[in-house]
Amino acid sequence: MDQFIELLSQINTFELIRVIFWGLAGAVSFYFSIGNARVWTSISIGFFLIFLGQAYAINPWIHYYKLSAFHNIVGTVAIVVITHGFLEYYVFCRTFEISGKKVAVYLFSLLILVAGGIFLFINPTPSPNTIRNFKIVENAIWVFLSIMNLELVRKIYVAIKDSPISKGFIAFGIVFFLIFLWRGSELYLQIFQWDKDWQDIIAVMTDEVSDIDSFADRVQLSTLVNKYAGFLSSLSVGGTFIYIYRLLK
Amino acid sequence: MFLLPKGNPLFENLAVGMLKLPEVMSKLSTGGFTGYASFVFQASTVILVFEAGKLVSVLHEEKNGNRQTGFEALSALSYLMVGTSGGILNVYKLSKDLTMCIHALLQGEILYKAQELRLIDIKALLEKVSSERMNGCLRIYTDERSAMIFYKDGAPLGFFHDGSQDIETSSTESQKIAGLPGAKIDLFSTQGVEHLMSLDLQEVVNIQNIWETAVAHQQAEINKLNAAREERERKSIASKLAELEEQVKTIVVESVGKVGRGIVDKELTDQGGNTCLLDENNVVKFLAGIERSAKLLISATSLKAMMEQLSKTITAAKSEL
Repeated sequence: MDQFIELLSQINTFELIRVIFWGLAGAVSFYFSIGNARVWTSISIGFFLIFLGQAYAINPWIHYYKLSAFHNIVGTVAIVVITHGFLEYYVFCRTFEISGKKVAVYLFSLLILVAGGIFLFINPTPSPNTIRNFKIVENAIWVFLSIMNLELVRKIYVAIKDSPISKGFIAFGIVFFLIFLWRGSELYLQIFQWDKDWQDIIAVMTDEVSDIDSFADRVQLSTLVNKYAGFLSSLSVGGTFIYIYRLLK
Repeated sequence: MFLLPKGNPLFENLAVGMLKLPEVMSKLSTGGFTGYASFVFQASTVILVFEAGKLVSVLHEEKNGNRQTGFEALSALSYLMVGTSGGILNVYKLSKDLTMCIHALLQGEILYKAQELRLIDIKALLEKVSSERMNGCLRIYTDERSAMIFYKDGAPLGFFHDGSQDIETSSTESQKIAGLPGAKIDLFSTQGVEHLMSLDLQEVVNIQNIWETAVAHQQAEINKLNAAREERERKSIASKLAELEEQVKTIVVESVGKVGRGIVDKELTDQGGNTCLLDENNVVKFLAGIERSAKLLISATSLKAMMEQLSKTITAAKSEL
């Protein structure tokens, strides 16, 4: 408990609020998945997994590198499951086919997470640099799949635009745009090694000199975008699910 | 149609609908029947004359006066028997001589036809009948009355007139009719009984084949009518189903939007087309499919209202089909 309180005192208040909002969004989306069709299960489970991925900020055992890497794996699985859900919804809009069982989505997600856990368990403890690599891979996948989901959401909206739920997909469009900014800005910093992790690594482990000061404005802007887009995306996810819940009630 | 003497009735008013011509013929032939069988239908009558089980003449006469004999008459009888249900059969046993006269009346050589009595010497004619030892029938008639005199070897066998049931020995009625203004005569002659015995239409005509052809033709007609009726019904049902399908689409589109049309099409295709709306089980499956898809697009409240409306519409339409 003391360890947890100490951790809380260390983390940024803004980051804490963001995690709380992701927690709320995750709770709403998970609740939403319970009584709904399979396609919604994939989407809502995915958003719930984002919360688990983001919960590293309040994890008292985060100093265990394997656990830290696992958060990144959960985050990656999250966007994969979300994309799968939107893809199924798009297929439904084009073919009106609904197949498969909800339990398969739960089991598949669990299986991937277990596989990720096993992968970490059987491999050496990741170094801070490896953890950063995990983050880069996670962000790259998020950026790529956010763009893909934006296109899917657009196509779904076009297909069902006179349906009551169509406005919900506009909300999802906003969600993915914010997520794209959130993850894209972080990936941008990582690609050019202006991220905090890299600065910490080179400060401790190498004699390498960063060019971060030469691009302070860009770094500051990207950091700001990352901070607020991340926060807003958690808000938008929660709001979107509440909105869709009301539409489908 | 001729009025014929009834002689000894074997069967009267037998429903023709239950009979088969080959069986009737076989029964009358094997029994060595002498006399005639009359098949009376609404628009025509067919007379079969038998002499000791042999079919010596057949006459088919329609109400409008058209006549057919032999094969054509048998064929017509077959078609009438398989095609109508209202005919009756009467079978009358007669003496060989009288049967011969009936044959003469139906198919004998016509010596006089519609000859006005006042224009001929009836006495001389009767003498000729007697002297030439004619076998046959002299028919005397006006527009209202009719009488027949049957001859064998030139001697009268008996007298028959409308209103009587059988052969009479008195010529009074015949003389009365002959005395009426405008009276006419027909004179039919035939060869003797021995000659008739050498005839048997059943030997030259395959009644079984005629019957089977008539039955097959009738069946084909029935099948054709049934097919036409089924086609009409199918078209009518198809049109009503198309109408119902459109109603269903309208309801779904109103609730879920344009995409609803595709949902209905898909679910109907899955259930084998809009005919599935006629089957209770398929309707349940169809509605379940619609509900499953619509659940992704509309609220639970709207879904419930839409499903109720769909059920009502389909039930109402089914009751009309």
